[in-house]
Amino acid sequence: MIIVKRSVSLSKAYLIIGGVLTLVGLLFLSLSGLVSPPTTGVPAQGASRNSAEAVPFLAVSFQALAAFLFCTPVLMLFVYDKNNGVLEYLLSLGMNQRDIYRQYLKAALILAAALVSFDVVIDVIVGLVEGTARLTLEISVLVAVFALSAVSLGTLLMMSFSSLQRQRMGSNQPLGMTLGAVVVLPSYFLPLVFPSLAFWIDLFLAGVIAGLSLLTFSLSSRLIKREKLLP
Amino acid sequence: MPTLELAGVNSGYGGKQVLHGITFKAQEPAIYVVLGPNGAGKTTLFRTIAGILEPYSGQVLFDGEDLTRSKEGRKRINYLSHYNAIPEEMTVQHALDFYAKIEGGKAEDAISLLELDGLRDKKISDLSQGQKKRVSIAKVFLTERDLYLLDEPTSNVDPVVSKEIRDILLRLSRERIVLYSSHNLYEARDVGTNLILVKNGTIGYYGRISDIRSKEYRVGFRTSMDISKMVDARMEGGYYVMTFATPEEAGLALKKLVENGVIVTEMRELDNPLQSLFETSESEAS
Repeated sequence: MIIVKRSVSLSKAYLIIGGVLTLVGLLFLSLSGLVSPPTTGVPAQGASRNSAEAVPFLAVSFQALAAFLFCTPVLMLFVYDKNNGVLEYLLSLGMNQRDIYRQYLKAALILAAALVSFDVVIDVIVGLVEGTARLTLEISVLVAVFALSAVSLGTLLMMSFSSLQRQRMGSNQPLGMTLGAVVVLPSYFLPLVFPSLAFWIDLFLAGVIAGLSLLTFSLSSRLIKREKLLP
Repeated sequence: MPTLELAGVNSGYGGKQVLHGITFKAQEPAIYVVLGPNGAGKTTLFRTIAGILEPYSGQVLFDGEDLTRSKEGRKRINYLSHYNAIPEEMTVQHALDFYAKIEGGKAEDAISLLELDGLRDKKISDLSQGQKKRVSIAKVFLTERDLYLLDEPTSNVDPVVSKEIRDILLRLSRERIVLYSSHNLYEARDVGTNLILVKNGTIGYYGRISDIRSKEYRVGFRTSMDISKMVDARMEGGYYVMTFATPEEAGLALKKLVENGVIVTEMRELDNPLQSLFETSESEAS
């Protein structure tokens, strides 16, 4: 929790941006529901769905990106701690690079989970109000799975890239952040291109991202040398 | 008696090897001063002993326990990095509470030891470099451990605090091994009993500081009269300076002066025997 508190005190701008993007996601969910409300994310066998009806699924992308931005201060803190010697101190306590990654990843997931919980509650309320409770519940599940997977991968990539660079000061960190955001991109258009498969596409993407983040984490000790965590 | 032993340690950063076959054994509680020019490998040596860097080969043993493999062994070490390693957004009190949670000990004790009471509510980012260093040192003294690794603990601190730190270390060194790096040769001579000279990633000298002999000894005398016609001495900075091959010759010169009715009010060695050793290693390193 100390990392979460320190991250929040380090920068509030990303928290605000994350909050705004969440509201944008909510807007897609509620507006499209008003225009053409589907009842479920998984259409009955043989039934087709048009692109407009898949628009609510954009809420998944926006709210995942919101969670991603919401936990960016944790990554800033990681680079900051690396540069002022806190990570060196943690290594001297007997932690290895994976232990350290785990601490910051946990903090990022706690922050993301806080926002996602808020998303789910609001989404469900919107669904109840608009009579699309089942759809919004399905989308909420997707938001949770997708957002936490994206946050895991983005966090690990940012830490890896800020550690891999030759130059200090974390100037490669945005590269990790960009890659983390790139994996979310397909969820912005694929559900609209294949509206009948929108639910499964998002679930599949979330699975791939979760798999990639597990792979990155399991390889972190081998890929990132201890000396890369030194100031 | 604690024993720190390095046996054929090769270490560095990825493909860049810095330490080459470092071998020494510290087997008595004392302050071991680590000296060497910039880039010689002092910090790498500290990081390797602290287990931060894994040596490519060789062993770091503390009381026979391999520190590179044992997390328990590392709990017997207090390490002060060259960097302050304190979260700058915290106040002094919060930072020491934070470290006390990790390390054990009481923040209050460290605050009182390093006289940080007046700074406790100040943010670390608002402190001067010297004050930050004091906080950083305070975290090392939260708990007492068996081995202290202190990378330039007195850099950036004022002479009063510097002396206080040296006094604490002298007290600790009665029962513990303290490795201490410094660029201040006079401080090194005053505080250290043993010297580890690091030169190009190897040990250039390891032994007692008292055993280091200078090529020549320049001794300054303050006297009641002009002695330049009596002995081969010239006035420099308020002292009559004489050069001797051995310390014993200086004693004989003093005896001669006293026998001639000269009142000697002060006699001191002007050069530091570590100076020539350090200068030699520095010129070889460059």
